[in-house]
This record gives sequence, structure tokens and C-alpha cells, in this order.
Amino acid sequence: MDDIGLAERAESWLAAGLCAEPADRAAAEAGVRAAYAVAGLAAPDRIIWLGSPAAGAAAVAMLSTGTDGDPYVWEWLAEQDCVPGRAELGASVRSKVRTGPWARARSALVAELGPVGYARHSVATTRRCWQQLADRIVTPLRTRLTEQFAADADEVGAAAQGALLDAILGQHDAAWLAAYGDDSPELAGLARVARSAGWWWAFERIAVLTERPDQVHRDNLGRLHHAGGPALSYPDGFGMYAWRGMPVPDDVAAQLPELTADRIRSESNAEVRRVMLEYFGFDRYLSESEATRVQSDDFGVLWRLDLPGDEPLVMVEVVNATPEPDGTRRTYFLRVPPTVRTARAGVAWTFDLTEEQYAPQQQT
Amino acid sequence: MHRQGDVLVVPIAPADLPPGLIDAPRDRRHRMVLALGEATGHAHVLTGERVALLSPPEEPDRLYLLVEGYGRLVHEEHGPISLTPGAYRVVRQREYFPGAIRFVAD
Repeated sequence: MDDIGLAERAESWLAAGLCAEPADRAAAEAGVRAAYAVAGLAAPDRIIWLGSPAAGAAAVAMLSTGTDGDPYVWEWLAEQDCVPGRAELGASVRSKVRTGPWARARSALVAELGPVGYARHSVATTRRCWQQLADRIVTPLRTRLTEQFAADADEVGAAAQGALLDAILGQHDAAWLAAYGDDSPELAGLARVARSAGWWWAFERIAVLTERPDQVHRDNLGRLHHAGGPALSYPDGFGMYAWRGMPVPDDVAAQLPELTADRIRSESNAEVRRVMLEYFGFDRYLSESEATRVQSDDFGVLWRLDLPGDEPLVMVEVVNATPEPDGTRRTYFLRVPPTVRTARAGVAWTFDLTEEQYAPQQQT
Repeated sequence: MHRQGDVLVVPIAPADLPPGLIDAPRDRRHRMVLALGEATGHAHVLTGERVALLSPPEEPDRLYLLVEGYGRLVHEEHGPISLTPGAYRVVRQREYFPGAIRFVAD
């Protein structure tokens, strides 16, 4: 396949990975049965649905331990006549359904394309999908869920943490599925689920499927980022606040709209203060605090502000080289290491160069 | 060297190009994209005559340009930049964050 075909496939899979529409339940369930068949397994007796990966992992934990756990999740399970203690999951079949077929499809592709051809094929199809889905969404989501379940110091919490490792990622498996066609016989079932639903769990007797998010907000680098609510949210109410990819605890998120420079200064937790600073705006914080104008040159202005109990905030103020449509020029701030002494050295650092090396002939 | 927003292209000796570079994959519109904005869809794109966007097969984020005819770097929000024949290294702008270094969203 040529580059354009591979790029089209990658874009289509990235769109599936970012899709925030209700699951196509019939298509997902057909995909599950096809995936079990490819693995040489009988179809599960039951396919049940939950509203988010959080609820899915909790449901798996409750069903595998036979414990009541989260009352909301219990309700959803009861509505589907699948109550902990009575319903039997059977053994996990994730490795047969997902890991095995993926390994075989990859081996076949390496054999067909050779090592360099395979590397180039992977870059063309999965580089952006992997970065945007696995790194920018799955990793922070998994971290959040792990923390949330670790806070439940009981049997269900521990089982839910285990369930996170046993999840099949549905739409987020687009991160690697993009390397293969939807029609690959080995992967067609997995691909169909991935195009139709969110995270899921495969057991001998029961498959636990979950909905896709209803909102995904990202910045220009694809990092989870939203001011007015959760950056990632699911139809059952589970959500995650994030600012430029940094997960924000719910109680901190509630305070963000009313922040003041004083409130930020008085925050004792350095992590939380960093989130507050980012949200408030470095430029606004500098102008409302006793920032020192350290130096200026042709490249910009260097500002410095000491933060109690933390490393100093050092920023270069630079003027955009390309004017806005109305003729004005936008000013922006870049944070640089506290060791930087001049604006030129600061800008040079942002491009991994020394002050002496950094000498652009042209800037637009 | 030339800067277009958050992308810097630094001239290097053609002999300093790493061995074994391959053509970086084109995008869906067959463009050579140095960097893409996820939210805006805006891209730093190399155009011209006898130009190549190259990367080591195992390190797709390290990009090089080889201009044998003439090159032009374009972007929706920044002025175009002309590139004379030669080899260039592409550097993405980054931002300091205590404990981490992050790339800048242009």
C-alpha cells in the first residue's frame, strides 16, 4: 500500500480512537463473537455493558470476587441480571483473544515487509495513533484509575487494579490496530469492537463491554486539556479534569475558576501549585507578583520570580515574528530552566541549542 | 538557521546526515509534514523541487531535510521560509517544566 493509503488508514483509526459517540452495541457484540471464534473459543454466554472504563473495571472486580462493591455499578449489573456472587465470569481469555492474534499479525507483516519496511510501515500507520491515544489518553486515564482504585483499600479495589491490566482497550487499541487492515482475518473481530466501543474485558463465560467517552477535549499537541469541565468524560458521569495533559484532582479543578495570585502563593503542595500556575497563566502571575525583569536583548525579555519551597519561575517573554491580521504582534511566555541568564539563552534552550549556537537568519 | 513558529531548521553538512535515513511517510494529502497541530490541523509543510523529508527508520521523531533543488517551508499562521540547497536538521521547540520537558503547542 502506498503512503497515501497508509495515511488514510491511520487517520481513520485515529478518528475511531478519539470517537465520542455512543457505542454501536450490535456491531461491538458481533466483533466480540468474531474475536472469540478466531481464538478458537466458544462465544461468551453473556455480553454486558457498563458506562465507562472505571465502571467496567469495578464490575469485573466485583464479579470476580463475588463482592457487592460500588452500589451504582451493582445497580447496572443487577439491571442486566448479572449480580456479583451469582454470575460466573470464567477465566480471562485476553491473551487468546488479543495478544496472540496481534503477535501473529505482526510476525506476518515483518516477514512480508522486512525489518526496515516494517519500521517504515509502523511509522506511517501507528506513530501518531500511538502517541495521541496510548501516550496522551490511555496513560493518564490508567494512572487516574489506578490511583482511584488504590484508594479503596479492600478486596474489590485490589481486584479492580488487576482488572486494569487485563483490559482490552477497544477504540484505544487503534494505537496499534492502525498498522493492519480492518479486513485482516486474524484481527477483524478486535477491529470491529475497536470501531464500535470502548474498553472491554474478555472472559470465558462473560464479556464486559463499555461505552466510549461522550467528551474528549485536547490541546494542539493532543494533550487532554479543558477549562470548563472534565477533559475526558463518559456517559455514566466518570470524568477526568486535565490541563495541558496534567491530570487535575477534582477538588483542585473546582477552585481553578476563582484563583488569585495570593491563593497560588499560599498553596503548599508544589504539584498542585504548578497546575494552578499553568491555569492562571504565567504572564498574569508574573504581572500580579513581584517578578524581576532580569535582562533583555534582541530575542526577548527574561523574567524571574522566586516561589517559596520550589524552584524559581524563569520565563522568556518573546514577541511573535508574524503579525496578527490586525497588524499587532502577539506576546507569549516560555518557561525555561532556572539556570538561564539571558533571553537569548532562554530561547536557544527551547531549541536545544546554546546561546552562541542560536542565530536564526529568518523568523516567521 | 530559520525559525517558523515552534520549528527551527538548522543547516548541517550533508556528510553529517546519519546513515540509513529513509523517506518519512507522507500524509493523506501526500504532503511532507514536519509538525502537525492536533487541535488546529495546521502544519509545517516542506514543498519545493527535489526536496526530501528524512528520518532514521527507528527514530521517526528525528527529522532531516535534504534540499537539492529549492525548498520552501509553509504554515497556515506563519510566513513562508525559502531553503537553499543543503541538508538541515529539524528541531521542535520545547518548554521547561520542573521534572519534565514538554514540547510547545504552536
